[in-house]
Amino acid sequence: MEKREVIKVTGLPIVAGFRWSVGKMMEKFIKSFADKKIIAAKCPKCGYTYVPPRSRCGKCYTKIEEKNLVELSGKGTLTGYTTAYVELDGKGIFLDLDNPKVIGAIKLDDSDSTIFMPLGEIDQKNVKEGIKVKVVWKEETKGEIADILYFKPAR
Amino acid sequence: MQRKIAIVGYAQTHHEADPPNTREGMVFEVAKGALDKAGITREAIDTVINVSSDYQDGRTISNLFLVMAEGAYLKDESKVEMDGAFGVLYAMMRILSGTHDTAMVVGVTQGSIFSPHQISFYTLDPTFDRQIGLLNDVAAAAIQARMYKNKYDVSDEQIAMVSVKNLVNATSNPYAHRRIPKPTVKKVLNSKLYYDPIRELNISPISDGACALILASEEKAKEITDAPVWVKGVGNCQDSYLRDRNLLKLESLETAAKKAYKMAGLKDPPTELDVAEVTERFSHEELMIYEALGLCKEGKGKILIETGVTERKGQTPVNPSGGALGADPVLATGLVRIVEAAKQIRGEAGKYQIQGVRQALAHGQTGLCAQSNIVFILGGER
Amino acid sequence: MMRRNVAIIGCGQTKHGRLRNVNTAEMISEAAWNAMEDAKVTPDEVDAIVVGNMQGFGGIYDTELWAGELFGAPKPFLRITTGGTTGGSVAHGGYYSVASGLHDVVLAVAWEKHSDSKERGATTGLAHVAMANMFHDLQQGASLKWLVSLVTGAAIGVSAFQASCYMYRSGCKVEHLDMVAAKDRRNAAKNEYAHLRWPNCTPEDIAKTEWVSYPLRFGHVCPASDGASAVVFAEEKIAKKKAERPAWIKSVAAYADEPNWLGENSQGTAITDLSEQLECIISAKEAYRRAGIKDPRKEIDMAEIYQPFPHQELMFSERLDLFDDGKAWIALEEGQTEIDGSMPLDPSGGVISTNAIGSSAMQRVLECALQIMGKAGKHQVPKDVKNAVAHGWGGSVNFTTVAVLGDSPRR
Repeated sequence: MEKREVIKVTGLPIVAGFRWSVGKMMEKFIKSFADKKIIAAKCPKCGYTYVPPRSRCGKCYTKIEEKNLVELSGKGTLTGYTTAYVELDGKGIFLDLDNPKVIGAIKLDDSDSTIFMPLGEIDQKNVKEGIKVKVVWKEETKGEIADILYFKPAR
Repeated sequence: MQRKIAIVGYAQTHHEADPPNTREGMVFEVAKGALDKAGITREAIDTVINVSSDYQDGRTISNLFLVMAEGAYLKDESKVEMDGAFGVLYAMMRILSGTHDTAMVVGVTQGSIFSPHQISFYTLDPTFDRQIGLLNDVAAAAIQARMYKNKYDVSDEQIAMVSVKNLVNATSNPYAHRRIPKPTVKKVLNSKLYYDPIRELNISPISDGACALILASEEKAKEITDAPVWVKGVGNCQDSYLRDRNLLKLESLETAAKKAYKMAGLKDPPTELDVAEVTERFSHEELMIYEALGLCKEGKGKILIETGVTERKGQTPVNPSGGALGADPVLATGLVRIVEAAKQIRGEAGKYQIQGVRQALAHGQTGLCAQSNIVFILGGER
Repeated sequence: MMRRNVAIIGCGQTKHGRLRNVNTAEMISEAAWNAMEDAKVTPDEVDAIVVGNMQGFGGIYDTELWAGELFGAPKPFLRITTGGTTGGSVAHGGYYSVASGLHDVVLAVAWEKHSDSKERGATTGLAHVAMANMFHDLQQGASLKWLVSLVTGAAIGVSAFQASCYMYRSGCKVEHLDMVAAKDRRNAAKNEYAHLRWPNCTPEDIAKTEWVSYPLRFGHVCPASDGASAVVFAEEKIAKKKAERPAWIKSVAAYADEPNWLGENSQGTAITDLSEQLECIISAKEAYRRAGIKDPRKEIDMAEIYQPFPHQELMFSERLDLFDDGKAWIALEEGQTEIDGSMPLDPSGGVISTNAIGSSAMQRVLECALQIMGKAGKHQVPKDVKNAVAHGWGGSVNFTTVAVLGDSPRR
């Protein structure tokens, strides 16, 4: 009985690239970073405030318009966190990090969504649920997602 | 329900890291195996539901070349692209409608083709979270685990006990992937740290595997087998997206379980369920699953694991097969849970058989932090 | 056993085209809400949602996990995806969800957003389909260049071959393909949601366009559209309360053949005529039988056929038993398949005018429902629509979805 040979095929010679359109609300949100502002969408009916903003409330299904957008202070509370010792390389492999990163789950003041952001200027042992944090912007902000560097402990 | 439906046959592959087998080979093995187990041929199957994922398989229309292998040639067929247990739900719907009397559900994923962790990254909001690039299923689960630990004062040791229980159970299961000779809490706590507090042995392995089962309406089931496993109830629900849901509780699982219990007429699940096969992709998840299923109050999952209630010898054994921590062939995992629960009812679970199983629960999930859940209640003849 | 009767009580779509001012979640939500509003239901009245699209095209995995809350989550969701037939499979899934008795009102929504991929048109996704499913050919000595030219615009390579088979089998000419394309572009001009709309298109206009791959011209090719479409299914009592003229689902069927094109994993196949489409013949027979339709030619009033390329409108209308094998082009010449003809085909303009892949087969069901409900606006066929057949096609030319809809429940 002949031995079956397994021919492995690894990777195909194409790359699938994407550039997603973000929609009007998201565009406003990201562009406002140029002015170092964080915008949220407050439902006119039930008050649930989404960040990033969106055009319909998922809790009561009311439409949210541009006039319902509110500006947030950029300060919030840490509701959860984890220290990352690895990160994905884009192809499914977990690479070891030279310096562990702290990922924070943050609830910005006057909003209800949780956003997930890097934490900086903080010692791992001081990371606790309930501490106050605030956004740290790049020196020069251009109106892109990379404008937010991280969140740090606020007094 | 409009008709009674039973599981009348099943089969699964031995789940492994990267066996020298093609998807088609695996699918054929389990489809044929399920038919042989039921003692029927392909002609007796009215409809076939395939469960596979375009991204996991790296090929669009992932069921395209599986039509022949799963016996769906010139048959009414379709595909569900979620955890396998949802495929069973769709097959059930097809039989309940009266259009079909028998159905085969085949689920397959070779996790070795592409990491499910990388794919979890692609479920994130592409306009924001994905651009920030921090999260994936393990990172999100770690944040959830940390919140859960802090709120209910759960220790790493207690969470590790779930891994130990399931890995020990897996050693008795010839189909399981991860077979660690003497799992201990110490070994779990010394395994590689990914996202604190989640370590290697807290995460389900990436397995290649397939599973198939056959459903039949009451009349057909009685013709086919003396030991039908009746589907008494089912419920499913999908939670909101990560940013706007409560991570401390598996709310959609609670909703799904309540629906399933109601349909099955269960009033007191902890006493009326003899065994449960759940999908725990992370060990802390199993504790949260106990709570969502109503096996204990919120935050008390740690008591169940510490007092051995969910051990094989306990009051409500959970995952005697080893669960997902024992083998996680991604989309086939939920199907495997249903099959393992059915085996318990039929007395075919060999070395990990629980005595006197009359009613069992099977659970499957899809999405970050178990965002979408489905629960089946199965019952035997008596 | 007593079978539950299910009807479509509402339809909703987005305009199809190049939608760069909304993100995918917003696009899906728009169609979902349009359908719910048309059905006069709120998300609280919807018991479950069935979704589907072809994930390789948009680059987002399980989009409903992110987008679901915009139109109903937390709720039971089911994802059904079968390639080109996805929309039809999602519609069937919605039907079965209600017919099963487990749910009373179900929303089914399908979509595609091609413009999110960096390459033009649907190239990224199609290359993905083709390459990944045909890498065996690379092993067997085919060159990458040959594979790319064969399958990128994947459907074109295969469809050109299928069109040649069909022309040989039926005797139809390229001029007939021009006629079908022109008719559908004219019909699309009457459909506000369609993508390619050409009000006074003539076969000569089409014949002036360049060859892509004989016998298909540029004017024969479908666009790559962004868009979403949705329908709401309800059980009989609720349907009668909510809709004046519900569109009743009399039957669904979706039989699959072996992969016609090259066989399973390029191992070869006995199928030499790609225009035979056995799965469509069987699905149609079963669908008619389940619906109680004995003579489709007399009882079916119109059809929405999945035809990204014009020969498919003729070919599938024969396989759906609306015309004799090889005779559809005669009916076309006689004007029978025009909007005001005796067997109108694709009054909406069909897939050749609007192709958001995941949504396209759903649109066929949706358009038949609109016709029965009398809500098709400018492209409403003038005759009374008692029964309609909605068709979907895809896979390696081996998948199909067929649904028979009617103006009264099956008894």
